[in-house]
Amino acid sequence: MTAVLRSDEFGLAPRTWLIWSLAAMTVALSTANPVYRGLVALAALDVLLTWLPPERRLKSLALALLFAAGFAALVNVLASHAGVHVLARLPVDWPVVGGNFTAETLAYGGAVGLGLVAALLAVAPLSLVLEPHDVVDAVPGPLDRTGIALATSLNLVSGFGRTFNAVRDAQRMRGWRPRGIRSWNEVLVPVVLTSIEDSVLLAEAMEARGFGGGRRTSYAAPGWSRWDVAVVAVTLAAAALFVSLRVAGAAIDWYPYPALSVPPLNPILVASCLALALPALARSRAAGDGR
Amino acid sequence: MPGLGRRIAVAATLAVGLAVAASVVPAPGSPLVASCAGAGPNHAALVVEHGSGSVVTRCVAFDAASVTGEQLLDSSGVAWSGQTFGGFGEAVCAMDEEPAQYVSCPGKDGYWAVFVATGGGEWQLSPVGISSLKLGDGDAEGFRYVPVSGDTAPPQPAAGVCGGAAASSPARAGAAAPTASTPQSPAQSGGIDAAMLAAALAAVVLAGLAVVRLSAARRRAP
Repeated sequence: MTAVLRSDEFGLAPRTWLIWSLAAMTVALSTANPVYRGLVALAALDVLLTWLPPERRLKSLALALLFAAGFAALVNVLASHAGVHVLARLPVDWPVVGGNFTAETLAYGGAVGLGLVAALLAVAPLSLVLEPHDVVDAVPGPLDRTGIALATSLNLVSGFGRTFNAVRDAQRMRGWRPRGIRSWNEVLVPVVLTSIEDSVLLAEAMEARGFGGGRRTSYAAPGWSRWDVAVVAVTLAAAALFVSLRVAGAAIDWYPYPALSVPPLNPILVASCLALALPALARSRAAGDGR
Repeated sequence: MPGLGRRIAVAATLAVGLAVAASVVPAPGSPLVASCAGAGPNHAALVVEHGSGSVVTRCVAFDAASVTGEQLLDSSGVAWSGQTFGGFGEAVCAMDEEPAQYVSCPGKDGYWAVFVATGGGEWQLSPVGISSLKLGDGDAEGFRYVPVSGDTAPPQPAAGVCGGAAASSPARAGAAAPTASTPQSPAQSGGIDAAMLAAALAAVVLAGLAVVRLSAARRRAP
């Protein structure tokens, strides 16, 4: 007999997290309006900070967000030359980067970067708050195998980083020092070989534990609380609102060309973005009740 | 942190309430538009100002409560061609034979800037394409062919196009062209200030919560 864990004792159910992440990502990517994207990013950051386990750190995520936003803005400024407010100018005969650098391209690149930040923050709880087996539990039954493959892939990413650091440190202890791009072969080749070996070992371990022999079972199945229901309902409604307005052709985007302008705002959509922060309130409520 | 959830809930509720309230702020009342050419109970003005300074005006009548800027342009009889830009919508590339030919849109020398005047107000630079632009009774849609660099000046006022009391814009002082006022969303005119306020309030609440969480995490850290 399977025990049922109530999610208000142990946090939100894994499936609630998955739905919230998908809904928040849908909202962030369904509009090019930087105000909505910024609100989604802030809401997702609040949720992440609220539920982040004490042993987890955000440094690598913060670096990834900074890189993604900065890269998007930089590429747009360098490659696009539209807009009327010229900030700087390069000779037009320079390939790709030649032409005007405008405030409009900077603003649009920033909006693109903000969308990436919002989307990354929306999926961050799946790796920083949930355990890999929680991600598997969150996937519907027919997609059980896909969930396992997804969780395994996520695990391999961090494993690749750990292997890289270990091999680099070992090579340094042997006297290796980085001297140009070609010298990194001495690190990257062992890292790739070790990763392949780890993958084979993981596959053998999964086979030994019965992978492919039927549905995955668990001792305790996560239950649903009223907070799970509220979070799922509210976030799905917010995503549906954005998607339906997008399909209906409503003006939910922002486009700074040819001249910068204030993004159009709809108060209902602002409230929808704000509603994505509901999981943060769920945790505060639980803490206030002494749980 | 005892009570934090309640405070956040109150702040969030206020923000949501403000946002919802802003959505029902009525738009400024449409002015009375006297005898306008065409048939239909609603009327909107069209002003097209060429780079040479020549102006073409039309008054368009329609039955629906609102029309898009593209529909208004189509109904006006002014020849135009455009191009769709993703979420921005339809942009005007050439109108009334200006430019006579083009190879890129917007052009390298000039482009058609789109303006809207809601309920007899001033011209505002449109942040969306004409296919996404909504116009109601008493509104006006304006175009001006402007150079790619420099200020985006609005076209001549739309007052009188639909029989007298239509949209107006600041009077031109001498030969100097007026600059466009702070652009706003025409579709949200009347509610945008409250919407922006709600968005700012929401951002402050969310950022405040993030700071509180970060501080708490830092205190817990060994």
